[in-house]
Amino acid sequence: MELNIYHMYPEVLNLYGDMGNILCIKRRCEWRGIKASIKNFSVNSKTHDLKDGDIFFIGGGSDRGQNIVCSHFTKYTEEFKEIIEDQGVVLAICGGYQFLGEKYVDSDGKEVPGLGIFNYSTLNGEGRLIGNIIIENQIGITPKTIVGFENHGGRTYSDYKPLGLVKAGYGNNEHDMKEGIVYKNCIGTYLHGPLLPKNPHLADYLILKALEKKYGIKNLKELDDTLEYSAHEKVVEMYSK
Amino acid sequence: MKTRLNLYLSIITGKLVRGGLKRLGKTATALPGNIALRIEPDLLKILRKRCKKVVLITGTNGKTTTNNLICHIIRGDTEKLLSNLRGANMPQGITSSFIENYRDEYDWGIFEVDEGSFRKIAEDLRPEYIVVTNFFRDQLDRYGEIESTVSMVEDAIKPLDTTLILNADDPLVSQFEQLKKNNIFYGVGKNKFSTETKTVVESQFCPLCSGYIDYEYFNYGQLGSYHCKTCGFENPDYDYYLTNIDYHNQYSFDVMGKEIVRDVRFKYGGTYNLYNVCAAFAFCLEAGMDPEEVLRRVESFDYKLGRMEEFNFHDKVVKVVLVKNPIGLTEVVNTIYHDEREKSILFILNDNPADGRDVSWIWDARMDEVNQIEGLKTVQCSGRRAEDIATRLKYDNLPVSLIKVDDNIKASIEQAVNQSDVEIVYILPTYTAVFQTRDILLKIQERNQKWN
Repeated sequence: MELNIYHMYPEVLNLYGDMGNILCIKRRCEWRGIKASIKNFSVNSKTHDLKDGDIFFIGGGSDRGQNIVCSHFTKYTEEFKEIIEDQGVVLAICGGYQFLGEKYVDSDGKEVPGLGIFNYSTLNGEGRLIGNIIIENQIGITPKTIVGFENHGGRTYSDYKPLGLVKAGYGNNEHDMKEGIVYKNCIGTYLHGPLLPKNPHLADYLILKALEKKYGIKNLKELDDTLEYSAHEKVVEMYSK
Repeated sequence: MKTRLNLYLSIITGKLVRGGLKRLGKTATALPGNIALRIEPDLLKILRKRCKKVVLITGTNGKTTTNNLICHIIRGDTEKLLSNLRGANMPQGITSSFIENYRDEYDWGIFEVDEGSFRKIAEDLRPEYIVVTNFFRDQLDRYGEIESTVSMVEDAIKPLDTTLILNADDPLVSQFEQLKKNNIFYGVGKNKFSTETKTVVESQFCPLCSGYIDYEYFNYGQLGSYHCKTCGFENPDYDYYLTNIDYHNQYSFDVMGKEIVRDVRFKYGGTYNLYNVCAAFAFCLEAGMDPEEVLRRVESFDYKLGRMEEFNFHDKVVKVVLVKNPIGLTEVVNTIYHDEREKSILFILNDNPADGRDVSWIWDARMDEVNQIEGLKTVQCSGRRAEDIATRLKYDNLPVSLIKVDDNIKASIEQAVNQSDVEIVYILPTYTAVFQTRDILLKIQERNQKWN
């Protein structure tokens, strides 16, 4: 078995330990004897066919980085939309999450268009929302908690099903207690830390969704996650309100 | 008259606060200056008038080492210098050093400066020289993004009449050439430790035109040989560089520049230290010091600050190296990889505000050779986020059987010192654990002496 993991624009969208999410998926596949090929999708590479991707990862970047990517990614909007509709597995974090929406409105009221795959928008707010965050997931995985760190100036307002409800921290916009979005097998979220190594249940959820789509597989071999969950528990212990 | 009174009042109050803190056994690197600045807000300007010349050292990594190195060298010429050697690098830290070492006149003011405080300090101190080491991401939750850190420093330099000592190998630093100051470029050049493999690169796109940058080789992070395919931006010619670099438990190299200094020995490992030494040479020779004297002083440099310090025990050496950002961690692990002795490592990861509350940076470091380090007996993980660094190592395929997790720092250090099958222990603490680590090691040394 083999999964193709597309790391979208790793040279610019790579803030906050994003590599950790890729490494986590790769290792958890390898430890189960599943081959994981990492493919870097970048502004500089010549030809692309996203269709052979099984898991897509989009991270966050600096404003300058996101501008560099924006014009390039726009060319692939329709293709990417089809992938999502067709149960493709996508994890988009922070800037990558905002980017899948309609627009980002900055502090001067200027609108920066997103890919428009989802109809949520992000508005710049006063002060950045920074800190450890704990949410209760809405996708039915155990344990209920997902932990991470958030650092974003934008507030996202969406009617999609959230990834989780905020137990400690800010989430999408510090008001409605929602964190992230889930649509089919696409997850958008503000949690880094990075997200997957401390939440192996979520990492396995993504891997299983990809294997299910590609091979019809319904369950995964168990791994010893003592270390991962001790890191998870530590955040819950120290940062629950 | 009123100004004079304010000055004396601020210095005396600062000294009283300092004395009080010392009696309580606390460090007094910032608070005395903070209080003194409230009484006399122009304290930095007053300090400037008393220094014949001022040099500021800024950038992400290497500030404290370069500052200590330059001071150690200049001290060969004059004792009348003022510096913030302990790394308190904001206005209150610099004024604290003034309070501690108060004089009417100094030949040199030599200060490392935090990038975030650079504008204010540069405005008041009007330095004759500025050394810029490098720009890496560091404690992102404090400054936002690396580009904004770079432009903060750039904007502050613009109005100054000064000589810039710039790292030619970092595109984010060498772009300051555009500021048209008196530029002196230093660098390390290609050597046997250079690599063509990309590790942690902060700037894949040209800082001038946003074009794609090709790197020919890397020495340390993005520091290396770069060329922008679009606008041609590339490493400027060196005014000072190192050549014939070798390492056998210490570095040996030649310094090429206005003067050539051959066969320099430097005992601290890590490519980052080559850059620090080269910066110190470039500055000292530009400032007119005798090359032979600089050489002697560089070779006698001894670091006693816990950021990079050795502690001797009867059966082993304990080496403490501060780690605070991805590039630093990558380089330290790389240095350990080249150490052939039987060894253990103790990581101490804290997430206090001064460490950066966000520990995601450990995943930006590249440590994939950690599972190939020869003679590695154990890897201990400690500090408030011990489990995070342990998980990080597991995902670089370090066998879990080697990893021991204990968030109690004292117990972990005791265990590391007592481990019998190693010649060297590397302790890698984040910022807030450095001083604690040092205190614990000194106490163990003291206790051992009593028993012997």
